[in-house]
Amino acid sequence: MSDWRRIDIDAFDPDCRLTANDLIPPYERQVTLQELQPKMEQLRTLSSGGDTRGAVQLITQDPPYSADDTTKNQYFQVVLETLSQVRQADIINIVKELNTEQQIVLVKYLYKGMSLPEGQKQGGILLAWFEKLTQSSGVTPIVHYLSDRRTV
Amino acid sequence: MDKSVLSVYKLVKAPIYSHCLSQDKSLLAITCENNCLIYRLGGRHPQLVATLENHDKTVTAVDISVHGRIVTCSQDRNAYVWEPLSDGSYRPTLVLLRINRAATCVSWAPNGYKFAVGSSARIIAVCYYEQENNWWVSKHIKKPIKSTVNCLSWHENGVLLASGGTDGFMRIFSGFIKGLDSKETMANSPWGSKFPFGSLIKEQYQGGAYIHDVQWRSNIEKVAYVAHDGTLDVLDYQGNLQSVNAPDGLPYRALLWINDHEILCAGYNCHPVMFSEASQGWKFARDYDKIAAANVLEKTATGSSTSSSQFGSTQDEDNDENPTFGISALRKFKELDLKGKVSLEQKESAHENAIVSLIPYAESNGQITQVSSCGLDGKVVLYNI
Repeated sequence: MSDWRRIDIDAFDPDCRLTANDLIPPYERQVTLQELQPKMEQLRTLSSGGDTRGAVQLITQDPPYSADDTTKNQYFQVVLETLSQVRQADIINIVKELNTEQQIVLVKYLYKGMSLPEGQKQGGILLAWFEKLTQSSGVTPIVHYLSDRRTV
Repeated sequence: MDKSVLSVYKLVKAPIYSHCLSQDKSLLAITCENNCLIYRLGGRHPQLVATLENHDKTVTAVDISVHGRIVTCSQDRNAYVWEPLSDGSYRPTLVLLRINRAATCVSWAPNGYKFAVGSSARIIAVCYYEQENNWWVSKHIKKPIKSTVNCLSWHENGVLLASGGTDGFMRIFSGFIKGLDSKETMANSPWGSKFPFGSLIKEQYQGGAYIHDVQWRSNIEKVAYVAHDGTLDVLDYQGNLQSVNAPDGLPYRALLWINDHEILCAGYNCHPVMFSEASQGWKFARDYDKIAAANVLEKTATGSSTSSSQFGSTQDEDNDENPTFGISALRKFKELDLKGKVSLEQKESAHENAIVSLIPYAESNGQITQVSSCGLDGKVVLYNI
């Protein structure tokens, strides 16, 4: 019995199963893709109009935590577009204008980007954001990201 | 060593998960592997006077009641109450917790007649002694706990029990035991009007980070807790929550109310940090026993040219904010590579690993003046606050 740690001791205890749903925070309702469309439009307008600062401010406010995975992924495509349109030189100033809450949201999008193939193609840009973010706020947003169950 | 450090006791070569002091501060109890060790304080170094060794798995927590009874709980799913005898030894009594997972934390109620044990079985067991059966009885609080309970704290009234756990909820339950507690103590409580055993009085959720420690400040009806996202949160009975981030970002494992407006926290940064309440809410006040930033900078300036280019040489002000970020480990490996050893001249904080519990050591005028801490480095450190 050397690998006793692998024994599923919950197998016969129906009360003691931790399901994936137990890990999702209690949301009152789910945000749908339709509700997010105006915000996505606004993001596209802002970034195509050159107002990348405003766009990043908008991304990092009120992220769609309660949406389902497909919605989140579609929304993320727009976020990724916005982030990749920002000029390298502007990143540090934009990051500095975000408050702590917004920086935490931003780092969530950066990690999500690195986990997806679409984001990995833009890896250099995401890493540039990441570098500037850790320079301005240290590990605080990362520690928040690691423990936060509200995902983007 | 910083002047706020009174004494450093390197007691064991294993992590200390929990420690506590007797009422008169003469005895110190620590957990060490499968045992609980009792030391007598007073001399230059604490003297080992007793070893409590009935558990057969790691002891996770220990607490001493106002009457001097010691309770220990362990990953073997049991708790023992140790009655002090006149010859200095202890008589153990097994407490059947009726849980199927490890016990994680234990806390005596202020009156010393009952205690609560948190466990990984999503259960808080409230235990009290029944005279007629000559037996410790345990009653369970189950709902709506979803995961391991990490920490417990009793209100001074002995009824309200705050708990925090890995499901990210800080919950306040009623631990009212008929025949042991009287309804009069709760007559004017702002937290509610009825307190049947096990009822959920309040719950608070933020993002789902593990909650590592929780503590009541009974006289002002506030409860504070620290979570794994590096925040300290203070909740009052009206539901107002104030949250403050750790200045260096690393999470805290323990907290202690120093007075009504100051809280000491400690954790993975290995030194205590004081937070104080101002008109705009809670904020960082000061560090104790922090490695001097100038010292670290001076060290990193010699022989870390690659690291400065890596982090960008234009951000001088950023380097000032985060002098140790990522560089200390790099330097350590560099030294190992070049010299084959790490230079020992670097100043260290008293704790070399995470601090996991803080308890008051001396008080005057309702203010805690000295604090004792224990850590995963097997040390107990006394700080002047």
